Amino acid sequence: MRKKSKTVINIARVFASILSSRDIIDKLRIIIERVDRESVDLDFQKVKFISRSAAHELILIKEDFKRKRLNKKEISFINVNDSVKEMLRVVAANRALPKDIKPEFKAKKVNINVLCV
Amino acid sequence: MKQIIIPKLENESLTAQLLSLYKAFKNVSEMENLDFDLSELDWICPFLILPVSVYIDNTRSKFNISESSKIKSYLDIIKFPKGIDSISSFKQQIQRYKNYIPISVLKQKTGLMRERFEQLFQEMIYRRLGSLSGIQDAIYYPIGELITNIFEHSKQDKGYIFGQFYPKKKYLDICIVDKGRGFRNTYLEEKNLKLSDEKAIIEVMKGNSVKTDKERGYGIRTSKRIVCEALEGEFVLISNSVALISNRKSENLVFLPSFNWHGVIIAYRIPIPKGRIDIYPYIE
Repeated sequence: MRKKSKTVINIARVFASILSSRDIIDKLRIIIERVDRESVDLDFQKVKFISRSAAHELILIKEDFKRKRLNKKEISFINVNDSVKEMLRVVAANRALPKDIKPEFKAKKVNINVLCV
Repeated sequence: MKQIIIPKLENESLTAQLLSLYKAFKNVSEMENLDFDLSELDWICPFLILPVSVYIDNTRSKFNISESSKIKSYLDIIKFPKGIDSISSFKQQIQRYKNYIPISVLKQKTGLMRERFEQLFQEMIYRRLGSLSGIQDAIYYPIGELITNIFEHSKQDKGYIFGQFYPKKKYLDICIVDKGRGFRNTYLEEKNLKLSDEKAIIEVMKGNSVKTDKERGYGIRTSKRIVCEALEGEFVLISNSVALISNRKSENLVFLPSFNWHGVIIAYRIPIPKGRIDIYPYIE
């Protein structure tokens, strides 16, 4: 039977204090999977920044573990600084309410010779 | 071995650096062994020197420079052309030369070490720019996303990054390079989309990811917006034979005939911020 008590994973100590890549967050997924607890606290103390990609991956992991029938886990983020908090909020908000219209991009076409002048 | 003279920069702008880079690599075929002559240069900057460094590393090309050159000692300090690929060497180097960050080579297979190495680089850059509110996020965001992009899409194990802060000129230059597939081939191989280099750049800038997840694909677009709009800087991107030059006021797609960089080069310049920066309105 799985233990009901929580476990805490210190993100800065296990990984880094700036989280950039998705594959690092994927390593976190493996660690969480192995934890024999129903609740996991991800401790962001000393984490200075999380990229959009890493934040997106982290939110996907949180949702995946919540949805699972087997090995279901409640993941919480604790000791999150303003910067990390803001990134997680923006990414979660865009996930909940995606923009309908794809952004436009218009650029003037120029030949390199024009720059030479 | 073909000799390539790297032409002296006409001025300090990123556009002038693009021109020098174009002249240097024009008519060069893929993986051709070259002998770079750097003797004409009296000033060097990340956008010009990092692609040359990457090219040498990938093709075992050579370079030469006269002993009396003004830039010789600088090239030695930044560890041109091989760069540094470990945390310990990076720390040693920045302890020895506090004002110079060496050319850094990030390797995908090193995983967590790569993330920590990248972190060191980001922190070194951030320290140069002071501590106004929001600068930390504005420095970390583009570096993190652009490096992540290399390892997610280029199909190469190595990504290269180099930066230099110019306190008297009051700006910071960053360059990030890979020798991977470039955008055109990425769309072709991942989505079977046959696009020109120009159209491939446009798709990237619209945030159209090669991944199926609709929420992905914004890394480069958002990084460019943060550099140009939040930081009022300038952003240049090259993929194969087209370059994009962006700033707050304009976007120009520049066609580079007889030039083909296999991979992606991104360079940007950030003026020292004067006030609070908020990157979050730009995150999509």
